[in-house]
Amino acid sequence: MKRYSITYFITQGFKGLWRNGVMSFASVAVLMSCLVVLGGFTLLVYTININLEQFGLLNEIVVFVERDLTEEQIVSVEEQIRALDNVAEVRRTTRAEALEEVKNQSEEYAHLYADITPEENPMSDSFTITYKDNDGVITLSYLLGQIEGVRKVNNRLDLAVKITSFKNGVLLIFTWFLIILFVVSLFVIINTIKLSVFARRGEISIMRYVGATGWFITLPFLVEGIVIGAVASIAAFFIEKYFYHYIEAMVTSDLQMISLVSFASVQPTVFWGFLAVGVFAGIVGSSISLGKYLRV
Amino acid sequence: MIEFKNVKKSYPNGTVALDGISLRVEDGEFVFVVGHSGAGKTTLMKLLLREEMLTSGRLIVNDYDLARISRFRVPYYRRELGVVFQDFRLFPNKTVFENVAFAMQVVGTPSRMIRRRVPAILNTVNLADKQKCFPDELSGGEQQRVALARALANNPKIILADEPTGNIDPEMSREIMNLLVKINRLGKTVIVVTHEKSLVDYYQQRVVVLNEGRITEDRVGGMFE
Repeated sequence: MKRYSITYFITQGFKGLWRNGVMSFASVAVLMSCLVVLGGFTLLVYTININLEQFGLLNEIVVFVERDLTEEQIVSVEEQIRALDNVAEVRRTTRAEALEEVKNQSEEYAHLYADITPEENPMSDSFTITYKDNDGVITLSYLLGQIEGVRKVNNRLDLAVKITSFKNGVLLIFTWFLIILFVVSLFVIINTIKLSVFARRGEISIMRYVGATGWFITLPFLVEGIVIGAVASIAAFFIEKYFYHYIEAMVTSDLQMISLVSFASVQPTVFWGFLAVGVFAGIVGSSISLGKYLRV
Repeated sequence: MIEFKNVKKSYPNGTVALDGISLRVEDGEFVFVVGHSGAGKTTLMKLLLREEMLTSGRLIVNDYDLARISRFRVPYYRRELGVVFQDFRLFPNKTVFENVAFAMQVVGTPSRMIRRRVPAILNTVNLADKQKCFPDELSGGEQQRVALARALANNPKIILADEPTGNIDPEMSREIMNLLVKINRLGKTVIVVTHEKSLVDYYQQRVVVLNEGRITEDRVGGMFE
């Protein structure tokens, strides 16, 4: 009975890697470098996105009420605010709390506030409102201003719009950058594997003369491509991890305003992502490189 | 059986390599194809290997119509042939055993059978003691015998030899030719493309003479001019 053994193709793939040691090493090195750069940029885009989203979360509206309102009137204002659409959360800050906050913020001038009695407190009660939908902010802002007893409505609508468009612009540029980088990486990998196949074109022509089918010739090269891809992606993963920890340490000590995602939380994504891209590049690289030599 | 029917082959640059040749080789025949450089010998070999497509005419080999064969069936057609080249074309990084075994692995022969059959074939070409050697450790004649063993591995009906003695010394050439004659006596069709007059004259077999893409002589008995 005639049969093909899968171990034959796997053994041949590994033998090929070993016999073309220099080219195999070059392929792994190129693929690994591309993956590290690609992964680095993806993490950068991810971090920028998360930081900008946190800016977005600061979008709140603060409503100040008239200073002479009674407690009942203030509670009524709060109820009216809660009754509005698009209001997610309402947090009250009393005038006493507001004064306390100011005192805490400027400790060196604390003596200036020390003598203020509750009656003399210049602050007013306020409500910090978080809203659900960005698009309805203008309406919400207007409706809040219409409530009786409301002195002032503070929103940072301009800032919110600017940050959102900045975020979208940055993301668009980086996404394109990532796509271009990926395509360039793929070309580099294809060329490297092509060199390896070119070095063995003699062997491939012998295979054809003895009646080897296209897939019989291709499978060992595919195994090679997969192994190259897997080894490169695992190596790239550890390099990325090391670099990320290094950058994380630097950011936590020097650039505290930037918040970084912990590597542990993205670790599985990075690992499987690298493996998928690496193996895919290996397979595509081998197949494209072989195509020319398989024509009978 | 091999049959060329008014076969023409021209290349894109306008060169007419074969100009309407008709030739029939019966099963079990031994044929020398001779001719000067540029006579069309190499093209004839390439057509038989289905490395090139004929321009017009018909070429039938063992029930395969080579003008119509699909790309996917070409490997299966090639398994019906055993091919020997002037430059041996062995895998430099495989041992003698592995080189012969490879042709059998390609057609899916179980390893048990490969382990049994390869030594027997190597014995036929007197290389039983060189199984573990690599090609660069062998002489030209020995390398060509490995190539011959590989050509025989799958028990093909036809053996094509393209200048099989071109890269080896005269004494070894005789040995290779003796092996080809021996193979022919086992019932295989053997086609040898050569320009070595002495060998053709010595073996006294059918001789097809090609000249400028045409068959100018087809006779038995040598006397290559």
